[in-house]
Amino acid sequence: MLTKFLIISKQNLIHLLEKLSKKFVIFGPKKQNGNIIIDKINDLSHLVLEYEGRSLIPPKKFFLPPTEVLFEYEIEKDNIKIWDKLVELKKQKRILIGIKPCDISSLNILDKVFIREFHDPYVTTRRQNTIIVGITCETIVDTCFCVFTDSGPLVREGFDLLLTRIDESYLVEVGSEKGGQLISKFDELFQPAPQEFIRAREEKMESLIEKISSLVLPNFSEMYDIMVKNFHHEIWKELSNQCLSCGKCNFVCPTCYCFDVYDDVDLLLKHGKRIRRWDSCHFLSFTRVASGEVFRKERETRIKQRIYHKLVYSVNDIGVISCVGCGRCINVCPAGIDIREIVRELWRGE
Amino acid sequence: MENPYIPKLAIIKDYRDETPDTRTFQVRFKDLEDIKKFKFNPGQFVELTVFGYGEAPFSISGGIDKEDYFELTIRKMGTVTSALFRMQRGSIIGIRGPLGRGWPIEKMLGKDILIIGGGIGIAPLRPVIHYIKLHREKFGKVILMYGARTPKDLLYKYEFDDWAKFIEVHLTVDCGDETWKGRVGVVTVLFDEIEVIPEKTIALQCGPPIMMHFVTKMLKKIGFPDENIYLSLERLMKCGMGFCGKCTISGTYVCRHGPVFCYTEVRGFLEKIPEAGE
Repeated sequence: MLTKFLIISKQNLIHLLEKLSKKFVIFGPKKQNGNIIIDKINDLSHLVLEYEGRSLIPPKKFFLPPTEVLFEYEIEKDNIKIWDKLVELKKQKRILIGIKPCDISSLNILDKVFIREFHDPYVTTRRQNTIIVGITCETIVDTCFCVFTDSGPLVREGFDLLLTRIDESYLVEVGSEKGGQLISKFDELFQPAPQEFIRAREEKMESLIEKISSLVLPNFSEMYDIMVKNFHHEIWKELSNQCLSCGKCNFVCPTCYCFDVYDDVDLLLKHGKRIRRWDSCHFLSFTRVASGEVFRKERETRIKQRIYHKLVYSVNDIGVISCVGCGRCINVCPAGIDIREIVRELWRGE
Repeated sequence: MENPYIPKLAIIKDYRDETPDTRTFQVRFKDLEDIKKFKFNPGQFVELTVFGYGEAPFSISGGIDKEDYFELTIRKMGTVTSALFRMQRGSIIGIRGPLGRGWPIEKMLGKDILIIGGGIGIAPLRPVIHYIKLHREKFGKVILMYGARTPKDLLYKYEFDDWAKFIEVHLTVDCGDETWKGRVGVVTVLFDEIEVIPEKTIALQCGPPIMMHFVTKMLKKIGFPDENIYLSLERLMKCGMGFCGKCTISGTYVCRHGPVFCYTEVRGFLEKIPEAGE
């Protein structure tokens, strides 16, 4: 992996994005109703690169949208015409700027799921068409715990460029050939990075690590055996009395990828769409088959499904845990369920 | 690269009513290339689209010995199947597949085979029986135990006489009627009719979870080694490729790793399932 550090002034970064916006659609953080959301940036003055924590909805939505039409069809007398929506995706060119290291880590995890024995062509195409320009954190919020999931405050891969604010400039780490090529045409906007900028980034990271490390937690990657051993622990019963099965934790989770597939058809039954939509393992309908049978009836089994997927099943399936310590699920849970407390209790019981 | 979410168009060549609510469809791809490419292992499944209604998974129930079509035995149950039952011969449907892992044919060669089916669970086992017919000399003793609710619910009745020429066929029903002269009771009652040497027999079972629960228990009781017991599991396979997550049991994708599992795999699941007999 080539590593190359450059610097760019805040002003020049906007110039660069202006130029790139002629070729790429730019998505980045902006403010909406007091929250940071990642959305299409039509006006670069709306771009908010320095923000606390991470966006409300994770960047998975750019690769696996909340609902997505896979194909459309027309029912004719003796034929069915199918339009593959993948064709349109192939024309897209996007830059996703301003996502945090935890979220970059989450995209690396999703790649392991969607690009393997079978390739999900929609996710794969979007990944190929999107340039990732990440940004490291300035401060943490109280639900951040990326240090314990090895997914921050710095990432080693998964980005094309990675920005770190140093005074009125950004230190730019080139993380891929694609990233290098992107900026090679705009040499005049960059300067080589002096050593003290690289040191300044290290110091920033150390201070973030120190802050997050004040939490008393194990490394989540080392929880596998403890989790397996505690599948029948009483904590699951207690949590099942708390959880409302609302599924919010799934929808804000940057690595939850499960989806439902259904057809949406017009009233004349002529024109249809095959759609996939985010689903939640907390819902009873998640495992319901046509006969009416539900395979995870008890709430306890559904709570365990999510937590065990993150820390055990994911390791079996793709070799790594699928929690990146972003803390979004903790922020949104109406019942106050905190994955850190679950892990801490089971870990302390050892 | 081909988009694996897009179904191939196929035609309902013919169908046959098995029971009042169950029908066997003969499916033939529209495109000659698709016909040539379609090769399946007994126990695999397809995703079937009724355009205008949706898609659902069905195990392949026949066609191993056919050149240009395969069969699906389907019970009228939900939206997709109800729409399918309204379709005529010649209607167009969509097919993706074959998907998943089927019965362990390699491992079964040279062994005795005990096939246990309950209700419509016989459907994914029928291609095994057809396979055995084609390659009878490659297997030892083969026994079929098949149970259904009533005599009317027995599928493939028209093939029983043929099957009895090359394998042992044992039948039972939960409730008999005036025509029924055979056994009455759940499928496990048939164990007293058969003679097996568990160490050299591979057991294949598919049926409702409660049936598999008791059959697994019984197989273990009479001395079947865990590695000789195979089960076909039913879960909600939506994408069929290991993405959507709807069919997982303890993180194992029934669509990708199954639907046929060795008992040794099922035994290791953290989530206990009725089929495991525990």
